[in-house]
Amino acid sequence: MRPPIRVLPQEVASQIAAGEVVERPASVVKELVENALDAGATQVSVEVVEGGRRLIRVADDGCGIPEDEVELAFQRHATSKIADTFDLEAIGTLGFRGEALPSIAAVAQVTMVTRTQDAATGTYLRLAPASGGKVARERRACSSGTSVAVSDLFHHVPARLKFLRSPTTENGHIAHLVTQFVFAYPQVRFTLKVDGRTLIQSSGSGDLREAVAAAYQWEVAQSLLAIEKDPRQEDSRLPSGVVVSGLVSPPALSRGGRSYMSFFVNGRWVQSRMLSYALEEAYQGFLLSGKHPIAILLIGLPHREVDVNVHPTKAEVRFVHEREVFGAVNGAARRTLAILAPVPQMTRVAAPVPSGEGLPLALGSGEGVLVSPVISPPSSSLPVLRVLGQVANTYIIAEGPQGMYLIDQHTAHERVLYHKLRTQLAGRGVERQGLLEPLTVEVTSRQEELLQVHGELLFQYGFEVDHFGGRNYLVRSVPALLSVKGDTAQVLQRFLDELADEKEPGDWAQKVAISLACHTAVRAGDTLTLSEMRALVQDLEATDQPRTCPHGRPTMIYLSQSQLEREFGRR
Amino acid sequence: MRVSCLQENLSKGLGVVGRAVAGKTTLPMINNVLLSIDQSRLKLSATNLEIAITCWIGAKVEEEGAIAIPARLLSEFVNSLPNERIDMNLSPRQRVLGLRCARFEARINGMDAEDFPPIPMIDEASIISLDPVGLRSAITQVVFAAATDDTRPVLTGVHFRLEGNQATLATADGFRLAIRKLSLATPVAEKMEVIIPARSLSELNRLLGDETEPVQLAISAAKNQVLFRLKNVVMVSQLIQGTFPNYNQLVPQSYQSRAVVTVSDFQRASRTASIFARDGSGIIRIQVTPGGELSPGRMAISARAEEYGDNTGEIDATVDGEGAKIAFNSTYLMDVLGVIDEEEVALETTSPSSPGVLRPVGSESYLHVVMPMFVQW
Ligand SMILES: Nc1ncnc2c1ncn2[C@@H]1O[C@H](COP(=O)(O)OP(=O)(O)OP(=O)(O)O)[C@@H](O)[C@H]1O
Ligand SMILES: [Mg+2]
Repeated sequence: MRPPIRVLPQEVASQIAAGEVVERPASVVKELVENALDAGATQVSVEVVEGGRRLIRVADDGCGIPEDEVELAFQRHATSKIADTFDLEAIGTLGFRGEALPSIAAVAQVTMVTRTQDAATGTYLRLAPASGGKVARERRACSSGTSVAVSDLFHHVPARLKFLRSPTTENGHIAHLVTQFVFAYPQVRFTLKVDGRTLIQSSGSGDLREAVAAAYQWEVAQSLLAIEKDPRQEDSRLPSGVVVSGLVSPPALSRGGRSYMSFFVNGRWVQSRMLSYALEEAYQGFLLSGKHPIAILLIGLPHREVDVNVHPTKAEVRFVHEREVFGAVNGAARRTLAILAPVPQMTRVAAPVPSGEGLPLALGSGEGVLVSPVISPPSSSLPVLRVLGQVANTYIIAEGPQGMYLIDQHTAHERVLYHKLRTQLAGRGVERQGLLEPLTVEVTSRQEELLQVHGELLFQYGFEVDHFGGRNYLVRSVPALLSVKGDTAQVLQRFLDELADEKEPGDWAQKVAISLACHTAVRAGDTLTLSEMRALVQDLEATDQPRTCPHGRPTMIYLSQSQLEREFGRR
Repeated sequence: MRVSCLQENLSKGLGVVGRAVAGKTTLPMINNVLLSIDQSRLKLSATNLEIAITCWIGAKVEEEGAIAIPARLLSEFVNSLPNERIDMNLSPRQRVLGLRCARFEARINGMDAEDFPPIPMIDEASIISLDPVGLRSAITQVVFAAATDDTRPVLTGVHFRLEGNQATLATADGFRLAIRKLSLATPVAEKMEVIIPARSLSELNRLLGDETEPVQLAISAAKNQVLFRLKNVVMVSQLIQGTFPNYNQLVPQSYQSRAVVTVSDFQRASRTASIFARDGSGIIRIQVTPGGELSPGRMAISARAEEYGDNTGEIDATVDGEGAKIAFNSTYLMDVLGVIDEEEVALETTSPSSPGVLRPVGSESYLHVVMPMFVQW
């Protein structure tokens, strides 16, 4: 039997981490879905209109609220989930503060319709902050479960309203959030509708891989590796009883951002640097720098081992034995990679360039003299350079009238491509190469949002993409600069992910050009022929800012004739 | 092992198998060439685990034996010797090969022949005989259109189909498609389809050189390897597993405009245009105008570089159907024009955004489809 809703005693209430509960539409969705899950729902549907500003509706088939407790649910510190401080130390539900509904009702109009299994009729309650609370209440026939509709969010809170991003951005956050619930509760059927369009529909079959397929691409879901069990798990000698399960990507599959790494602690989606680090550390040597794994990691441990009462929106948790959790996550990923991917592709992660002036270049050993390369102002043009060769398949050595140049082939090519793209865009438009057979690309719901919003921009940059059905899109043409080499689908996806990670608005056209240039440029490690290197250097000479890449990294190091002479003791 | 042969032959043989020596590898063994004796001939073998090449050279054998020797070192040494007899000597259970030629002598440390990766052998029961000249031209006409990045591994190969008395070779890289048919002297018993790495066929083409005797082809029972037997050389290549796209559906069935031009004219005009196209993505624009009562049809080939200017070249064309406009990547155009042996070629187009087809005039055996670039006219 579900305990009744009661107002928490003052000494309990005061121990609850306080702060802003509702920051943005996604926070409302989070609180309502958590309530639905706490109510034992097997089906949860989420509907948003205009990025959640107009309407957010969450409906579940859970236990419902008895007629006489409905108003109570909207009172601060009123909850059915805990009763005393003792309970606070071992929280087994997603909610426990009795804060969510009152906080939402303070900043938006809320309508709740709810019925318990055994009640003959349900309750309809409507609250509006402008009218100081309750505006309507009546008995109503309805199916058992609860449906909460939140409209006019922040309508009366101009300070908050101002910080709301575009509906697309807010929808992106919501889709990302619902995706996380889909992963954490594969046994629950979730539906997410945005402006009438179904973005996510999970089967609720209980199979995690199926849940992943519902939110990411099917192919991704298929290629993820299942976490190998800890051999110690069997004889329950596990310290602090941490159990890690879930799916992680094989080394060949990676993403440009961290948003594909999801961690759940006892069914709660959490953000934690410690957990990210524990996972990524296991991939050390498997992934290039700047690449991140895809992971859905479910961490289970006794409720007493984790404190969820540390963050107002419960996005962070504290582990009583942090080291052990780190070890368990790190070990789980290592084990899985070691067993299932026995051939590591050793790619050393380059040490970061020490910040400071320019790139120091050490010459000679022992007494190693540090020569600060002279990097002339970015606008100055380049002299004509004669290419001599390639070092480490990464740098081009060239000779100029005044000395020697070491050119980073990747950043240099980035600059060249960026320049060409921008020139083409400003002129007759980016040159497009048609595909003999349209390429089918399956995108995630988040990527889809971006595709729809920035479709025009992508088109201008040479991608002709048509909707095909479901989350499948057909690519009919690609920027001609890209057709020479590269995995079109991957470039497109990486590129959408990068846009998804963009927090700031800014100049999208430029962002797109930078991202495209970056993803299609030759990489460090690519062997180049002498003529390819010559062409690259010539193209670089023709750009307006040959000395830096569009991200601002240097493309070259210059060592003057006189520096060389000094180094060799000729002067 | 005691064996003698001519410097010239050994040098040539090492050159042939050297193509299969892995360049840089962490497996030191496959930087080696395996020397062994096979029925009074000296047998050289090398493999990079994708292809294996074996070559036999005439020799005087006094004692059998085998050893693996660093390939680079051996061939550089042999190449520098005068063209005289080379005596090779390997004491039993030793791993140092002694070489003597004229007044030069060398001792090279080798590795145990036992450790050399096995050179795949194929049961050559169902051998297919191919004309070396036809095979060479077929490979030349298709390999360049294979994909070079391995996003879709099957596209880095040449689809090789044998059916009845015909072999069909096809490649596609997402932007273009090349199909070449080759007739067989004797029909094959059963239909066969395999995907051979384009790289392997390029190597085979080099080996084919001036070969005049029929080349024999055999496919392993497991369908994972293909063997080509030349006069004194055998090459075995791994096959690419997977399904090759059904390319026939990508070949346009009709056209709005068909322009027949002289290949060399077309080539010259394209080459000239490509100088101006180099700046951007290499766009070459083609404009076909049908002839009138008095004027012949023509094809204008042009390119422009944003900052430098533009150029146009015009050539005569026999036009069937309407006029046409289409733009191609200059590399793709030059690639295909470079492999057409016939004097004339037909360019068939339907619209500026649908694939163009190039067919040599007077030959049904070759076909090339290229996707255009979408440009503003
Ligand atoms: N969808 C629902 N189904 C059944 N009961 C619900 C539902 N939503 C809310 N309740 C009841 O209303 C109470 C108050 O909900 P509210 O979200 O405000 O607080 P909470 O979930 O207890 O704690 P928290 O503030 O941490 O979310 C809950 O304790 C629960 O009893
Ligand atoms: Mg709650």
